[in-house]
Amino acid sequence: MRSRSVQLSSSPLLTSKTPVWRSQLIVATIALAFAALAVRAAYVQVIDNSFFKRQGEVRFARTLELPANRGRILDRNGLLLATSVPAPSIWANPEDMERDPEKLRQLARLLGVLPADLEKKLANEDKTFVWLKRQLDESVAKEILALDIKGVYTIKEYKRLYPEGEAAAHVVGFTNVEDVGQEGMELVFQKQLAGRSGSRRVIKDRLGRVVEDIGEAVLPVDGVDLQLSIDNKVQFFAYQKLRDAVLEHKAKAGSVVVLDAQSGEVLALANYPSYSPDKRVNLSGEQLRNRALTDTFEPGSTMKPLVISQALEKGIVRPESRIETAPGRLTISGSTISDAHPQGTLTVSEVIQKSSNIGTVKIAMQMQPKDMWEIFTQVGFGQKPQIPFPGVVSGKLRPYKTWRPIEQATMSYGYGLSTSLFQLARSYTVFSHDGEVIPASLMKIENPSVTAGVRVMSAEHALAVRKMLNLAAGPGGTAPKAQTVGYSVGGKTGTAHKQEGKGYAGKKYRGFFVGLAPIERPRIVVAVMIDEPSNGRYFGGDVAAPVFSETVQQTLRLMGVQPDMSVKPQTAVRAVEESF
Amino acid sequence: MTRLNLVLLIAVVVSAMYLVHSQYETRRLFVEHEKTLKEAAQLEIALERLTVEQRAQATPLRVARLARDQLQMRNPAPGITQYVTRPGFVREASQ
Repeated sequence: MRSRSVQLSSSPLLTSKTPVWRSQLIVATIALAFAALAVRAAYVQVIDNSFFKRQGEVRFARTLELPANRGRILDRNGLLLATSVPAPSIWANPEDMERDPEKLRQLARLLGVLPADLEKKLANEDKTFVWLKRQLDESVAKEILALDIKGVYTIKEYKRLYPEGEAAAHVVGFTNVEDVGQEGMELVFQKQLAGRSGSRRVIKDRLGRVVEDIGEAVLPVDGVDLQLSIDNKVQFFAYQKLRDAVLEHKAKAGSVVVLDAQSGEVLALANYPSYSPDKRVNLSGEQLRNRALTDTFEPGSTMKPLVISQALEKGIVRPESRIETAPGRLTISGSTISDAHPQGTLTVSEVIQKSSNIGTVKIAMQMQPKDMWEIFTQVGFGQKPQIPFPGVVSGKLRPYKTWRPIEQATMSYGYGLSTSLFQLARSYTVFSHDGEVIPASLMKIENPSVTAGVRVMSAEHALAVRKMLNLAAGPGGTAPKAQTVGYSVGGKTGTAHKQEGKGYAGKKYRGFFVGLAPIERPRIVVAVMIDEPSNGRYFGGDVAAPVFSETVQQTLRLMGVQPDMSVKPQTAVRAVEESF
Repeated sequence: MTRLNLVLLIAVVVSAMYLVHSQYETRRLFVEHEKTLKEAAQLEIALERLTVEQRAQATPLRVARLARDQLQMRNPAPGITQYVTRPGFVREASQ
């Protein structure tokens, strides 16, 4: 058998001659293709790469907002009055939501709503956004996310917390659900507290994880912390005593202001009724109003010490000058002024002690209207207090040129002008700060010794009036209930008919008390106002003085002030019970 | 010549691999960093929350009530207080 071998090298196909240009054409075509690729690559990579870079970024890069933390509000000792914590909000997209009845039931339970209500919220399937609940606890939000319901999402939001609650509500104020200040310091300092949010560009991977930064991030600027002059303990005690008094006397409302007598800082400012800043439902204006700053009233007898001090300053009387107040009635241009309890001849000190209208008027009428107007103006009546707070009022004080004699007379005992309790408290710093009236401040003052006052009277006369005020708060005065254990106090009661429309309301009163302690070197000024006490007693000495007394007692103790009066030691010694 | 090319080729490949590796490492570290930052933020939030909680538990009202009801304490009054002055110690104007 003869095998047939194949001679590949002598294949007839190879022997046929092909033209050289064919292979050259192929090489050229392939080269061209490569060249085209190279050009395209160069175009993509070098020439127009910004377009592609941008397109790439659009697909993977995201801008993240970096929210700024809202500043905290602190009291003078650095304790929290307001702070923000994250509180996620839950929202749903009803259009493409998973509606597993079991999961929805659990969701309703976690949200704290009835399943039927939840159904109702999600009923409209055309909607793409429904709030389920705003500002939940973070742990609850986590549980909800763990249910893993399609179409339910969270958004990071912040919630403001107020650990002090209603006691400090009027000063601190509150924010709305968007974390924007609405009232009080939260509103006044909204800009500083809010800070500025920043942003950063990042690249996210397929799973939404951040894998890379692009460029420099704009860092958020956190809001600044605000340190108030308020002392949270003083604030709390003042509020508590005020609330007790308002309830006891069945009054409509009340306010209390505690000022540091040397620096002018507001240690406490409380009103009742108040509200809880965390739970604001059905709030009325009555609760929201910061009466101490926004309500004015006729200050009544609390004006007498100011008038007397000016008389001392002008050399019209001396503390021991004698004034005839009998028979307890005095007629000025047809109008009669009377004393509640007619007295005989009184010294100027006793005029304050007994709060004699006749005595005060007789002294006041020896003064020029301008002199009286001057003292009222210098201590701040008729002008807005220089503190940042929404709705601060200035009260009324008419120019002295329009005063008729009877008006000058009534103004000397506090009718015919109006003031807020805050202004009243501040005006008494003229006595506490040795004749200088000092500006009040709601912010903590770092260096209180440099507080500059405006001299209104000599230190000697300020002390003389303090001693008169001490008498008024003493056994023979109008407000013995203002006394405290261990601390000498001085102050002046006031009781004023409330104005209603054009006239005075028959049986509606305001009782107030403003005073200072201790007498020799005052540390605090306290003003208390009780509005419409209707449980029998309504005199300032009965309704407001006890609040003053308790507030002073607690405040001086908290400030570590040593008693200036001797106290009978009553150290508790209790016999140990016999054991058998 | 071929030897040099070969060496260069190997160098290129190695450096390319290293680039891939370091890119990977960068991302890994970045993610780790992110995670840590997030954790720090979480802890900060927890601190804030706990501070608030502590403040809420230590309000004067609650302290006074617990002291009175559970510990049978009463408010100090000047009558039962022994005041001492430290020589050479000047108390600041407030607190």
